Amino acid sequence: MVDKSSDKLAVEVEKVSFNYSKLKALDNLSLQMPRGISFGLLGPNGAGKTTLIRILVGLLLPKEGKIRLLGQSLSRQMAHLIGYMPQQHSLYNELSVAQNVDFFAKIYRLRNRSERAGRVEEVLRLVGLWGRRNDGIMKLSGGMKQRVSLACAIVHNPPILFLDEPTVGLDPELRANFWQYFAVLNSQGVTIIVSSHTMDDATHCDRLAFLRNGKVIAEGTPNQLRQAIGKTDATLEDAFLHFVRREEKNVA
Amino acid sequence: MLPRYALTIAGRIFNQIVRDRRTFALIMIVPIVVMTLIWLSFPKELGMLDYIAPALLATLAIFFGFLLTGISFLRERSQGTLERLMASPVSRLDIVLGYLFGFFTFALAQTAIIVFYTIYVLDVHYTGDLWQIFVFQVVVLTGAINLGIFISTFARNEFQMVQFIPLIILPQVFLCGVLWPVEQMSSALQWVAKFLPLTYAVDGLREIMLHGKSLIEVGFDLGILVAFTVGISIITAFTLRRGAGN
Repeated sequence: MVDKSSDKLAVEVEKVSFNYSKLKALDNLSLQMPRGISFGLLGPNGAGKTTLIRILVGLLLPKEGKIRLLGQSLSRQMAHLIGYMPQQHSLYNELSVAQNVDFFAKIYRLRNRSERAGRVEEVLRLVGLWGRRNDGIMKLSGGMKQRVSLACAIVHNPPILFLDEPTVGLDPELRANFWQYFAVLNSQGVTIIVSSHTMDDATHCDRLAFLRNGKVIAEGTPNQLRQAIGKTDATLEDAFLHFVRREEKNVA
Repeated sequence: MLPRYALTIAGRIFNQIVRDRRTFALIMIVPIVVMTLIWLSFPKELGMLDYIAPALLATLAIFFGFLLTGISFLRERSQGTLERLMASPVSRLDIVLGYLFGFFTFALAQTAIIVFYTIYVLDVHYTGDLWQIFVFQVVVLTGAINLGIFISTFARNEFQMVQFIPLIILPQVFLCGVLWPVEQMSSALQWVAKFLPLTYAVDGLREIMLHGKSLIEVGFDLGILVAFTVGISIITAFTLRRGAGN
């Protein structure tokens, strides 16, 4: 059971709704994400995962509801506490790997030059790209760009990291590497909120929320979700489909 | 919020352009090619180039400033880095000023090339002070850079951005006294010209270059251009969408 006291929660989403014109993207959605774990937002395309992440990083304002990060209401002043890796690589193609990471270090208030250089080296070593630091982004493969993008998101040591489909397009080996990086970050106390539509990612998360049509249809640890459907050999995919059918029955 | 990160963003833009050697070379060479073509196409004996050169200097400054910044800002948006910036501690004003400072260096270099090339190589006559011509051009450029950022917020890709050139730049060439005096147009068009920044840029620069007037004497034109620049910067800062307000 999740401890509901605010000091143990990294993110609290309370009855949040959001519309794109007439399309309801989030429907009275509530979630609590404990600190220091990997929390997965799982669901098909259009479930509301990206919308929720964009609200949590302050890019969209919810129509209704409240957001709290680390016990405080979400505000612009909290931007430095957040690391954000968007779905796109979102890098400056003309700059080198190190220049990209260094730029984001600067805008996240790492002013001291030697401290910044040390931190850039540290994150590039973590994602295994220190040897490619002087290469232009255009020379990198898709997987390498993903790793630079992650390095840009974590360079300022944020306590909360939002990753929007970080493993899309990665081969199995790279995906496993990414989850190793995330485990290192979790061990340092970083809370990771990751959206995905693959059940392989789901198995790596400490807790999961299944999203569909802007609503949470189930939430718990991977084991809790598997056990909830009453089969010992059930996969998370089975569990997701079970909750989808249950939701459809409830609506009908 | 004070624009604390504007210089960081400007530095990044500077690095981006310097590392992209082809773009850098084009920024420096294209103005020379354009002015040479214009010089070749005008009859020398009538002194027409002397009359039209100030207007062309202003027009090219607006054209290149608009194009360079507009496309670049659009890329910031389309490649997703703007979203990343918006989620960071930088303010909208940081972004607008960062772009202004970042592109200003290149736009200024471009203007310097055009002015020096026009005066010393193409031998176009002028009577005003060179430094006053420069200061006036700096104001024109600043407005053009901000106009580029502003218009890019309405385009979703480079193709759409290029379509804004015939919509924003071309009418000004015909209506703002570049090719013929504004006073010779119909009263309706003269009224429209009053709302277009190039009218004041052309008028001011012509007064300085042809009649040797000072910046104080063209204060009205300069004032309108400064007001346009400040106004468009403020509107642009508000137009950049951000969920959580500053």
